[in-house]
Amino acid sequence: MSTEQAASPAAGAVTSTSDDMIIVEHIDKWFGDFQALDDVSLTIREHEIVVVLGPSGSGKSTFIRCLNRLEEHDSGRIFVDGIELNDDVRNLNAIRSEVGMVFQQFNLFPHLSVMSNITLGPQKVRRMSRRDAEKLAMQLLERVGIPEQAQKYPAQLSGGQQQRVAIARALAMQPKIMLFDEPTSALDPEMIKEVLDVMRELAESGMTMIVVTHEMGFAREVADRLVFFDEGAVVEQGTPTHFFENPQEERTKLFLSQIL
Amino acid sequence: MTNEFPAPDPVPGPVAPLRARRVVLPPARQRAARPRSVRAREWIRQNLVPSPAGVLLTLVSLSVLIAVLGVAAWFTFSYANWRVVTDNRWLLFAGGFPHDGEWRLWVAFGFVFTLVGASYGMWSSLGRRDVLFMVPAGLFAVFMLAHGDAALWSTLWFLISAALLAVAYAAFRRIPREHGPTRTLAVRALGPVLALSVPIVFLVLMAGGGADSDELSGYLLNLLLAPAGIVGGLFVGIPLAIGRASRLRTISWTCTVYIETVRGAPLIGWLFVALFILGDIIGGDLIVRTMVVLAVFTGAYMAEYIRGGLQALPRGQYEAGHAVGLPYWRTLQLIILPQALRISIPPIVGQAISLWKDTALISIILPLRELIGSSRSAIAQGEFITNRIEIYVFAALMFWIIAFIMSRVSQRIERSLGVGQR
Ligand SMILES: Nc1ncnc2c1ncn2[C@@H]1O[C@H](COP(=O)(O)OP(=O)(O)O)[C@@H](O)[C@H]1O
Ligand SMILES: [Mg+2]
Repeated sequence: MSTEQAASPAAGAVTSTSDDMIIVEHIDKWFGDFQALDDVSLTIREHEIVVVLGPSGSGKSTFIRCLNRLEEHDSGRIFVDGIELNDDVRNLNAIRSEVGMVFQQFNLFPHLSVMSNITLGPQKVRRMSRRDAEKLAMQLLERVGIPEQAQKYPAQLSGGQQQRVAIARALAMQPKIMLFDEPTSALDPEMIKEVLDVMRELAESGMTMIVVTHEMGFAREVADRLVFFDEGAVVEQGTPTHFFENPQEERTKLFLSQIL
Repeated sequence: MTNEFPAPDPVPGPVAPLRARRVVLPPARQRAARPRSVRAREWIRQNLVPSPAGVLLTLVSLSVLIAVLGVAAWFTFSYANWRVVTDNRWLLFAGGFPHDGEWRLWVAFGFVFTLVGASYGMWSSLGRRDVLFMVPAGLFAVFMLAHGDAALWSTLWFLISAALLAVAYAAFRRIPREHGPTRTLAVRALGPVLALSVPIVFLVLMAGGGADSDELSGYLLNLLLAPAGIVGGLFVGIPLAIGRASRLRTISWTCTVYIETVRGAPLIGWLFVALFILGDIIGGDLIVRTMVVLAVFTGAYMAEYIRGGLQALPRGQYEAGHAVGLPYWRTLQLIILPQALRISIPPIVGQAISLWKDTALISIILPLRELIGSSRSAIAQGEFITNRIEIYVFAALMFWIIAFIMSRVSQRIERSLGVGQR
């Protein structure tokens, strides 16, 4: 585990293929007879920040939930950090502890204190000692700017603070990849910035990130690449400059004109 | 807010400065600061005589209350012959328990008291009301248990048990309330003892030349059977609830069939099963069979309440558990069950109280003499043949006491866990 982590940056510098953190090949996803994902392929490199855009119901959530198997894809293949996501439970647990996820509704554990929310994963999955886990948690709470809230319960925090705890909880597993599913959509406007600031800092630190968001300022400033989804398929992708100044597809133009 | 006071204020002097202070004081404090006469009048106005119809209702309920209390007082102090109870208290409490094993009862008593004290210290705190309830209950217990030549000894034993409760309470009170190593250690120590308390008590009473199982009777038997059914019911109910919610059809169907079958017939019917079917096919001790049936019966109901709690949790809780890398069972154990059980505490305690009262059915069906059975034996002796009412009133009181304690404890748990306010 630790040797892998130490080795990957060096390996990444040499060859471009081992640079690929996530490889998605032709996946389909059906809910009953509704097709939520239609032949989606995407490759995401290490340290890359990918922002996923698209109208509501276009399959953005379904897509990123497939990446840690909260949804199972029906066909195609997904590789995360070289491990294939399939029915093998060992693979699944290995991948889930490499991939952090932040939800729109925070999904903190309401019966646990902020501290326990964060230390749970490291202690139970990574088998870290209590003391180390708490030390790590305090560092992360400092990093997201709310160390003084450690002993509170989620219900006692504001939405923005809860989402920052959720980010700290995901980071506590020391993941290589972070998935964000509309992390600011449930927040009051005045709290959006505090969460985006944390995400920005995380992006600068070199984390590989996939972010579903409607925050165009964030997308323009932070993203390396934008991916536009519609009706379960990738319609267009490119750099922020390409997207905001020179979009090619009609559907992309329509979407951007509505949202900007 | 500002118009809370009636405009024509009858006591101008002391009230005027209060008005000025009202702005800063929290509501509870202002009320306490108001003159007694105003408070009393206001209370009477609001609670007893809000309107003409209210006056009538108040009068009617007051007269009913007075009549009932009068009859109760007359019955208790004039009509009743309580010797039927006092003369038979060993029979009623301990039934056929051998006299030379009395120390076992006291050890069990002390053990339970210690657990109660420890639990209170750990998870709650004893308020003035609890103590106000415990003192008369304790005096009553001393009176009932002190018998014959051994009166002094049983009083002493009782005081020792009470002291154990106090010491355990004080010790566990010192454990910090926040999560921490000390608290985790204490939970790990106390939890298993609580879960195994029923078998431990049985060991104390029966092991190494203690009572035989057919000597367990009286109130003691109710006190043994009900917790066995309740704790056993939880052990049966939790897996059933999880199983019923399972995505694997065979498992969920099996659990559903179990739950619906058990709930489809009354407890009396299942007690017959314990007596005849289990007795003929499997055999074994009748008390053990009865406990199994009580656990199996209660488990089906507990399962439904717990399933309600499971369903009340948003899917995001499972997903968040998986997303931090917890496998399904660990998510269930660490995230889902603690929350689901918390939600289902009120109906679970309701079921526990109901089972406690249902233990009164047991001697109707089975050749086991719990409190109702011993009461019948007491009457059947002949001397007190006319005092049936007294003994059943007493039995009812004994059932009520425990039911009352359980409902108080449930309220306490709900409050300290903040059920419904998250
Ligand atoms: N569990 C599910 N069962 C059935 N349909 C679903 C489920 N989850 C999502 N869908 C459908 O799949 C489509 C894509 O959903 P989603 O990925 O959540 O879209 P987005 O996140 O882009 O708004 C929607 O039409 C939604 O109704
Ligand atoms: Mg979505």
